Amino acid sequence: MAKLSLMFENKLMKEVPIGSRPVTIGRSPDNDLPVDNLAVSNHHARVYFEGGRLVVEDLDSLNGTFVNDLRVERATLHDGDSIWIGKHHIKVDATADTALPFDSGRKTAAPKINETMVLDTKVRRDMLQQAAAMGERSQFSPTRVKMPTLVILSGRVDQKEYVLTNKLTVIGSSPMATIRLRGWFKPKVAAQINQRDDGYYLGTGSKIPHVNGAPIQGPVRLNDGDLVEVSGIRMNFIFRE
Amino acid sequence: MQIVSGGVTDVGRVRTNNEDSFRILENINLFILSDGMGGEAHGEIASSMAVETIAKYCTEKEATDETGVTLSGSESDHLAPETRRLRNAVSQANFNIYQSAQKHPEQRGMGATCTAGWVNGSKLGIAHVGDSRAYLLRTGGLQQLTNDHSLVAEQVRRGILTPQQAEESEMQSVLLRALGAHPEVDVDTEEIDLMPRDVLLFCSDGLTRMVTEPEIAGCLQAETVPMAAAQKLVELANERGGLDNVTVIVARVEDESKGWFSWLRRDSSKKA
Repeated sequence: MAKLSLMFENKLMKEVPIGSRPVTIGRSPDNDLPVDNLAVSNHHARVYFEGGRLVVEDLDSLNGTFVNDLRVERATLHDGDSIWIGKHHIKVDATADTALPFDSGRKTAAPKINETMVLDTKVRRDMLQQAAAMGERSQFSPTRVKMPTLVILSGRVDQKEYVLTNKLTVIGSSPMATIRLRGWFKPKVAAQINQRDDGYYLGTGSKIPHVNGAPIQGPVRLNDGDLVEVSGIRMNFIFRE
Repeated sequence: MQIVSGGVTDVGRVRTNNEDSFRILENINLFILSDGMGGEAHGEIASSMAVETIAKYCTEKEATDETGVTLSGSESDHLAPETRRLRNAVSQANFNIYQSAQKHPEQRGMGATCTAGWVNGSKLGIAHVGDSRAYLLRTGGLQQLTNDHSLVAEQVRRGILTPQQAEESEMQSVLLRALGAHPEVDVDTEEIDLMPRDVLLFCSDGLTRMVTEPEIAGCLQAETVPMAAAQKLVELANERGGLDNVTVIVARVEDESKGWFSWLRRDSSKKA
């Protein structure tokens, strides 16, 4: 049986099993897991099963619900996760009879596929929903869209910052370039940024760009806050909300 | 822009039939590639239907644009008319395949990917559905111009899988979008401004699952004759096992200016 363990500074305060009914968490004593702390809202959050998955939902609390350091409005829980509410944390034990995590689930559900196939609408919806629920964990909040942006720190270009909206962003003096370099002897294509499935990759043009001070060797995935230098331009790559 | 191109399709080393199709319309710089799926010969039917429908739609008189499947939307307003038309052509291909499968019960489940590129002036318009790909080789770097509509790629985009895990996944063949599955399909479009010496690559997953991107880039740089480069890439995929049909189109944008010293080169080429 899945259970939640309320911990305070490594001391076990209370343990409750999770059944068909949601487990409520909050400062008010009528909660299943009462947390006596002023930083905790009266009805702070709840945990319940939905479609075989264990879900935590913040109930518009003042100070927020965190799953493993990330503030969430709603997130799927996994065995070993910690829900942080104020200074308390709740350990999630989702072993035994709970739903399989997505990874093992998909391996048992689908045999090896050699032939290309298209998912029919229902299977696709289910799989994407599972995928979406998994995705929620890795994002600060699924409702906020993060825009990849290059903020120019120094150098002669035509704008102060650029939001990367295309599959391919060219940095150079070419009239086709998104980030137009100004001045004499600037290369047509100094560097390029390619949007790929897992992020934005900086690649060489006729110059070898530096990322955080080091020249790149082949395409490099840019991380939030990276310093990019190429052809006399210094810029920050950031994800802007 | 002057473009030289070449394309090759091959059954591979394992399959007995080739479900890929491609067409190059050199006079209008239109490149179409499609990878079919479905039992018996139906994958072939679907992919050739895709390719033929798109070629016809794009070459016929403008009238088709008014009567054909239209997908209007504010996000598409910035697209060049040719890109819009190409997208509508792909939608039309989807509808034709879907309708054919509805009429012929034995064709149920047939479908196809489609990656098509149309160059007008210096602008490349791409319309894309499925897991075939378009790449651009520029100044030595290979840039992917399309997103795979596969389950694993979607999982990578959502941060669930790493690209490495996706490559090893058994679910690579599961597509989220393909032509022929539903009466309507969401077609991705992309526009790129081309430059002299750019090399375009359109390929089916039979190439990208067998050959790594650095190898592809190396091959395209080493072999500047498009047809020869396409042949080399197909050979490479077959050497690696050729587990699937493999189709490759390579198109190279020619240098416009001959350069300051062209008269020297012209002389030397005459001698040679």
